[in-house]
Amino acid sequence: MSEEDIVLEKMALSSPSKNRLIHVKVYSPYKTYFDEEAFSVSAENDTGPFDVLASHHNFITLLNPCELVVRAPDGEERIRISRGLMHVKADQIIVFLDI
Amino acid sequence: MKRPQDIARDQRSMATIVQLTGAFEGIASMRISQIKTQVLQAQNFFDELWHIYTQLRVDSLFRFGRSEKDTPINKELFIAITAEGGFSGDIDQKLIGSMLEHYDPAKQDIIVIGHHGAIQLAQRGISFKKYYKLPEKDQNINVDPLIKHVREYRETSVFYQTYVSLMVQDIKRIDLKVAVEQQAKTAKAKDEIISDANYIFEPSAYAVVAHLERSMLQIALSQLILDSKLAQYASRFRAMSVASELVNHSLGDLRLSFYRAKRSIADERLKEIITGVKKSSGSESI
Repeated sequence: MSEEDIVLEKMALSSPSKNRLIHVKVYSPYKTYFDEEAFSVSAENDTGPFDVLASHHNFITLLNPCELVVRAPDGEERIRISRGLMHVKADQIIVFLDI
Repeated sequence: MKRPQDIARDQRSMATIVQLTGAFEGIASMRISQIKTQVLQAQNFFDELWHIYTQLRVDSLFRFGRSEKDTPINKELFIAITAEGGFSGDIDQKLIGSMLEHYDPAKQDIIVIGHHGAIQLAQRGISFKKYYKLPEKDQNINVDPLIKHVREYRETSVFYQTYVSLMVQDIKRIDLKVAVEQQAKTAKAKDEIISDANYIFEPSAYAVVAHLERSMLQIALSQLILDSKLAQYASRFRAMSVASELVNHSLGDLRLSFYRAKRSIADERLKEIITGVKKSSGSESI
């Protein structure tokens, strides 16, 4: 990660939206991994690593193999994924895994 | 008449068969319930994907995840989902027979899943493009190799066993595109259009649509395989129920024969004693 990326990430994490909760659901056809409120979700796509916080623009992305990190009030949840699709809309994040 | 010891031995082995058929019946019934739950879970997942897909697509043409440049083989692909081994009754024969009624080597290619189906085709001298083992596990079935073939062909029909009830199983033919649409019958209606104007796409809207089509094909195919497995478990359950009933009946007969044999021996001994007593009392009187 470049210095510019680190600065941008710090700015994002210090913004007011970092404390706002969003609903996150991470699941595959046969298993639900996470279905609760969280502060942010981090993953990787073709462009590189990214974070999604509250008030994010509507967004659909294919996910690359990575460790998906969900930061929830109870702590961090790390889920290793091989592939997936993320849909972000109106402070709701759905991550479809194994597709 | 058999000796009681021999009948008792038969009874013991028959009791083992009763226990075994009972165990198989239990396993089949447990698997049926597990698969039903999985099918329901996967249905919710599929519905949400379909919801996004219908909001993304402006036309209703399902392209099997192919790009416009890809030219598919101008033939239909037949996929037959059959059992891997025995205990499947005659349903696979019916399935293969039904598929071959529509089969023309110039117009269709066959891919068979399950060893039983492959043997049926080989016995009839029908060549097939590829054979895959029926997956042993009921979760995360890897259908990627199948999807690769599906995308190569103009259209695909799947012949599979379907679960009607524990006692009734049927065979069905379904166009895979229709199978995807049928999966979506419980999905919510589309409420808005997703486009570049209101969404950010990574890598692109087209790549997302193609990926969704492939994913939904995978889920629809997995569901068809699960439906076939459900029918096979139900068929096995039925076979085991019938066997268990027959064995229980035979066990009852054996029990009756055992008591008859014992009684007969006791009667025989009694006769011998009476005859002996008669003889000895006769000799005394002389």
